[in-house]
Amino acid sequence: MKSASVFKNLAMPMALVVIAAFFAVKEPAFLGPRNLTQLLIEFSIVATLALGMFMIILTGNIDLSVGSGVGLVGGVSAVLVFQHNWPAPLAMLAGLSAALMLWSLMGTLIVKQRIPSFIITLGGLLIFKGLFWLVIQNSTIPVSRGDTDNLFSILTTYYLPKTVGLAVAAGLVLVLGFIQWRARAARASHQLPVPSVAQALAKWVAMAVGLIGLAIVCNHFRGVPLSLLILGATAFTVYFLTRHTPFGRYLYAIGGNEEAAVLSGIAVDRIVIGAYVLMGVTVALTGFMMTAYSGAATTTVGDLMELDAIAACVIGGTALKGGRGTVWGVLFGALIMTSLLNGMTLLAVSPEMKFIARGAVLALAVWMDVKLAKR
Amino acid sequence: MPAALLEARHLTKKFPGVVALREVAFDLRAGEIHALCGENGAGKSTLIKLLSGIHPHGSYEGELHVDGRTVKFSNIRDAEAAGIAVITQEFALVDELSVAENIFLGREPCRRGCIDWLGMNRRASELLADFGLAIAPETPVSVLGIGQKQLLEIVRAMDKKSRVLVLDEPTAALTEQEVAVLLDHLRRLRTQGTACIYISHKLDEVFAIADRITILRDGASITTLETPAASVPLVIKHMVGREITDLFPRKPSLQLGDVQLAVRGLSVAPTAGEAAFLHEISFELRAGEVLGFGGLMGAGRTELLMHLFGAWGHRMAGDVALRGTPYPKPDPRTSIRRGLVLASEDRRRYGLVLQQEIAFNLSLSSLRQFVGFGGQLNAPAEHVRNQHFFNSLRVKAPSQHARVGGLSGGNQQKVVLGKALMTGPTVVMLDEPTRGIDVGAKLEVYELINRLTAEGKAVILVSSELPELMGMSDRIIMLHEGHLGGHFTRAEFTQERLLAAAMGRAPAAAA
Repeated sequence: MKSASVFKNLAMPMALVVIAAFFAVKEPAFLGPRNLTQLLIEFSIVATLALGMFMIILTGNIDLSVGSGVGLVGGVSAVLVFQHNWPAPLAMLAGLSAALMLWSLMGTLIVKQRIPSFIITLGGLLIFKGLFWLVIQNSTIPVSRGDTDNLFSILTTYYLPKTVGLAVAAGLVLVLGFIQWRARAARASHQLPVPSVAQALAKWVAMAVGLIGLAIVCNHFRGVPLSLLILGATAFTVYFLTRHTPFGRYLYAIGGNEEAAVLSGIAVDRIVIGAYVLMGVTVALTGFMMTAYSGAATTTVGDLMELDAIAACVIGGTALKGGRGTVWGVLFGALIMTSLLNGMTLLAVSPEMKFIARGAVLALAVWMDVKLAKR
Repeated sequence: MPAALLEARHLTKKFPGVVALREVAFDLRAGEIHALCGENGAGKSTLIKLLSGIHPHGSYEGELHVDGRTVKFSNIRDAEAAGIAVITQEFALVDELSVAENIFLGREPCRRGCIDWLGMNRRASELLADFGLAIAPETPVSVLGIGQKQLLEIVRAMDKKSRVLVLDEPTAALTEQEVAVLLDHLRRLRTQGTACIYISHKLDEVFAIADRITILRDGASITTLETPAASVPLVIKHMVGREITDLFPRKPSLQLGDVQLAVRGLSVAPTAGEAAFLHEISFELRAGEVLGFGGLMGAGRTELLMHLFGAWGHRMAGDVALRGTPYPKPDPRTSIRRGLVLASEDRRRYGLVLQQEIAFNLSLSSLRQFVGFGGQLNAPAEHVRNQHFFNSLRVKAPSQHARVGGLSGGNQQKVVLGKALMTGPTVVMLDEPTRGIDVGAKLEVYELINRLTAEGKAVILVSSELPELMGMSDRIIMLHEGHLGGHFTRAEFTQERLLAAAMGRAPAAAA
């Protein structure tokens, strides 16, 4: 048990280091500030979606429709901005509302009609794809009119000014330190064991070095990308929900043993619908970022993203049967997935090989899931 | 002395942090039924897993001999080839396949590469007839009862030419009648030379059938007794390492409180539109008392509890009131909020999230108590509360962060009870709370029941074991095929009366 968890804890960082080292040797620019910033933006997009998927998978369900959903939400907003001249925030709000509606509908169907989520969302995959192409009329719809920037278009092109980026990082370090200290004091006041001061301090310093280092690296290019902040906020929210609220606890319980969850007085239906509604929110966020990153809504936006999101979860140790997984794992999984895709693009690997590599990684991840579940 | 068919010497099996078996010695003679007794966690399951190749050779120390020759099993197939067949509580049957298909699963008789259906079904019906089982070979296994499934497993094992049958708690879910049938079959197999390792918590069965009894405690083999020379108190003494004087320490409350639960004319169908399964059930439950529910398998005890809790059935008629307030549309969430809790009989299925920690499970129904600022769980407060129940229920585990799936049955049951009690209930419904748990843990459950009624809570106890039901209840209601079969006060308790009521031959005392 112990050795397995140590292996699990070290396997992902090691895989990431190996991948990074491989690409860096083949193409030193991989670790340059420019490419790293690019990678971080792509990471933010995939990871945001994966975090929504994470909560779905925790309950033992799945969502195959998110890739098409990403395209659809981005498409609806782009059409409203470009063809109907709506202000970007309003258009995005409309896109978000559409996502909330569709995902609460799917969640309700899954729960109330007892249709397997695999089937409902497979239907969603096709229906949303069709709706998406109808909405954009199979054409390319830019996210802004002319050359003027709007809130939509800057999502993946805006960078925090260098001093602001550093200040945000420093502020985060202080806030995280404060939270850590508060939790520690609360534990101590209940006579619970607390980690030693040295350990806590070491953890905090490591966090500080990581966050400020990240900001400095980004500042070597254009600064901390806005999309990274969006991911940060999403990750914090999902972390808080899953670790510190009854809602999160119930997600794990439902995935672990749904019948026991019902008899424990958990409103299983409401919780699962809630997970799908939150999935809708992350689909919308990802839809905006992904469409902005492509510069326009085109028929291929969001293609296969559901698989990247699922792969990120599974690589990160989320059990497909539900009941097991962490936010940190999902973020790591997404980082591994994005590094692979980004590195292959940088090396100009052919699309054929990219598909094959993507599939192999997904299969490998599920195989690992099966292996780990047996323990 | 006859030669040992199977012999284990100096078996030691270590798991990280635990020694499950230490220097265990065990021998099995041809044609004997050898019972293995011990509390949960004593090492019975581990020993079986060694004998059956689930824990392969090399993962333990010591030696195994079959017919005097050293054997090294690396998997279950090796053990089966040596003639050892294990029948566990979870059947290895495929519900969707037929009886015959299950018997021959993995070794289907073939002719020219195709399954020989006719031959297979004919052979299966011969085997079934040998066992006196009136089951058609093409019956799907899903329609069989638990007792029949158990026998089917034995039929399958015998057709594989097994010489050693290992039965792990074979009667845990059987009715008395089914138990009698099973024991008869085992006796018949014994005369044919088949040896049997029989594991059961039910000591009366052990004494009825075993030739010898080996007792394990804390991973060590304490002693092996010839059954005629043993007695129930002696076996229990060896199992727990101390003497237990009072098996059922029920102390009835001196004064009962108000009516907590009133049920009048309750009729329930499995789903809307079906015929009623429970018919016109009426009873009252007062604070401080233990009301026992008995009856044969399928009498509707579990269904009644599940319905009151809100997890089963469609109410056709009748009223239920909780502390005087009508409760027409029950659901588990509302029930828990209103102080009505259920500890289910099937704890692994309905009670626990096995891969999670003890703490996770204990507080699962009570998280509302710990919600603080911004919807956040107050983790330290939760920890303290969990620790309180962890300690007071005396859960045997390294800490409240141990995984529930790794606990013994008795400790899992304590977690289920703790989860129910943490919600602060007034009416506690216990469905077979001591099923499959050992004597020591049973006593702790009984003491807990006393504590609950002393605190003024009302308890409903469902049990298939009449001595337990009679020992721990203040009143008993027997159910018979969904009807009230009889109502008895403590002075009226006799096994004969209760059984008569369970079979629908109620004396005048019927309520």
